[in-house]
Amino acid sequence: MNTVRAEWTKLRTSLGTCALLVAMVAGTVAVSAAAAGFSDPLPGADLPRLSLTGVQLGQAVVAILAVLAVGDEYASGLAVVTFTAMPRRSRVLAAKALVVAAAVAAAAAVAVAGSVAVGRFLLPEHALAARPAIGSVLYLVLIGLLSLGIATGVRSPAAGMGVVLALLYALPIVNTAVADPAWQRRLLRIEPVSAGLAVQITGGAPAIGPWKGLGVLALWAVGALLAGAVLLERRDA
Amino acid sequence: MITVNGLRKRFGATTALDGMTFTVQPGQVTGFVGPNGAGKSTTMRVVLGLDAADAGEALVDGHPYRALCHPLRHVGSLLDAAAVSPGRTARNHLLWLAHSQGLGPRRVDEVLDTVGLTSVARRRAGGFSLGMRQRLGIAAALLGDPPTLMLDEPFNGMDPEGIIWMRRLTRELAAGGRAVLVSSHLMSQLQDIADHVVVAGRGRVLADASVTQLLAAVSDGRVTVRSAAARAAAVLAGGGGSVTVAGDGTLVVTGLPAEAIAALLSRNGVPFSELAAHRATLEDAYLELTRDAVEYRAADPAAADPAAADPAAAAPAATPGKAL
Repeated sequence: MNTVRAEWTKLRTSLGTCALLVAMVAGTVAVSAAAAGFSDPLPGADLPRLSLTGVQLGQAVVAILAVLAVGDEYASGLAVVTFTAMPRRSRVLAAKALVVAAAVAAAAAVAVAGSVAVGRFLLPEHALAARPAIGSVLYLVLIGLLSLGIATGVRSPAAGMGVVLALLYALPIVNTAVADPAWQRRLLRIEPVSAGLAVQITGGAPAIGPWKGLGVLALWAVGALLAGAVLLERRDA
Repeated sequence: MITVNGLRKRFGATTALDGMTFTVQPGQVTGFVGPNGAGKSTTMRVVLGLDAADAGEALVDGHPYRALCHPLRHVGSLLDAAAVSPGRTARNHLLWLAHSQGLGPRRVDEVLDTVGLTSVARRRAGGFSLGMRQRLGIAAALLGDPPTLMLDEPFNGMDPEGIIWMRRLTRELAAGGRAVLVSSHLMSQLQDIADHVVVAGRGRVLADASVTQLLAAVSDGRVTVRSAAARAAAVLAGGGGSVTVAGDGTLVVTGLPAEAIAALLSRNGVPFSELAAHRATLEDAYLELTRDAVEYRAADPAAADPAAADPAAAAPAATPGKAL
């Protein structure tokens, strides 16, 4: 409990946290609004998904927040102070994951609600759908946890950002270059972004089911956190 | 109390610790000295559970550090004063640390006051000088009111006033019954504050002794006497001293304390103009002990001589006899 409280105080008093959370909300709503306002959707288009387009920007800000939450400690040397005060390192990582998840969930709820409201205003014919909205909040939380685990493993903000952004943005680009449609579909089912964002899809024939897709992303996040925890315990701090 | 027993640690091909063994007793300041690379910081990191030793054990109050529930209530430590988030205020830095030990903001304000940072408590630590960061680091070390303190090079970056403050603080902490371990690569900084000294070199303990013992070991009891009287040497030899005549009226006496020499000369009516006991400093003891353990020695002895840095002294240093 003390560990959670300490990590919460740390996150709360970190210079960038507040600004990043505000940026995440603003960026997500703005991009969602632009997507809803400037597109001219055909009848039968996936409107709930369209009005949540901003999540694809929001995830980058969430990733930055989560990478910095641990990477900054290594950059400044504060990690040594942290592990001196709280020598049970896995517990520290769990506490960090909890507070980052809570902060991201709160901001993501606002961002998603804002996006849905704007989408509804700009596209009045759009039926409200709960699953894409709730799923998007969970998606952003999981992206945060995945980023946290990766940053713990690489112990540097720059390397952490590189790996996370490659996973979030470079992998989907690589995917489009795959010529074989069967392979492309297989990849869509195991990549964190494409699988996770399946939760936003309300029509068509997605490569993976919505909750199953989110589950794939959750496996990525859990895997990254576990790998981070193992490295944390084994390496010298 | 800290017990370090047979610690060994290698980093690749380098042996950092090679059987480091000592204890830090309560109620005294233990100086931990040695040249750079002697293993002082690594030892402290192992004690704090940050680095794992390949062999041996380090115990704090009889327990491995990582088994302690609220470690800062057992040991306060300062390893690297620069290790703060630049964007966080001094008070918030201490606040999260306090929360991690189940302590509240009142304790934070107390330690801020102890180290004299109350007026800048709400300023970001990124703007602090190294001396202020050292004080912040000390505040963090004192947070849990621990019975043991471990400070790595606490004098680094401090101005003269800060050094005086730090010396007084370490003395007071030891006088209050705490076990205080202070590392330094400069023995002179530990003179007058350390009661006990652990001298490290190449990952081992070279000497582990009280300051009094250490000084007695290096001071050979030489007394220099300057006297124009030719019979001075005979009088002193007759009194039981062994006398070496060093020329121009200077005698070096061993085997007699300075007081006895003064009494002997006066009794025999021998005039003398100078009587000086050779007093060893901790620095002498340290240099003697670490002579073979210095890892990075200047290749040219003249380059290591401070006089060689003086342009006036440069010419003699370059004479063929000294050049390599």
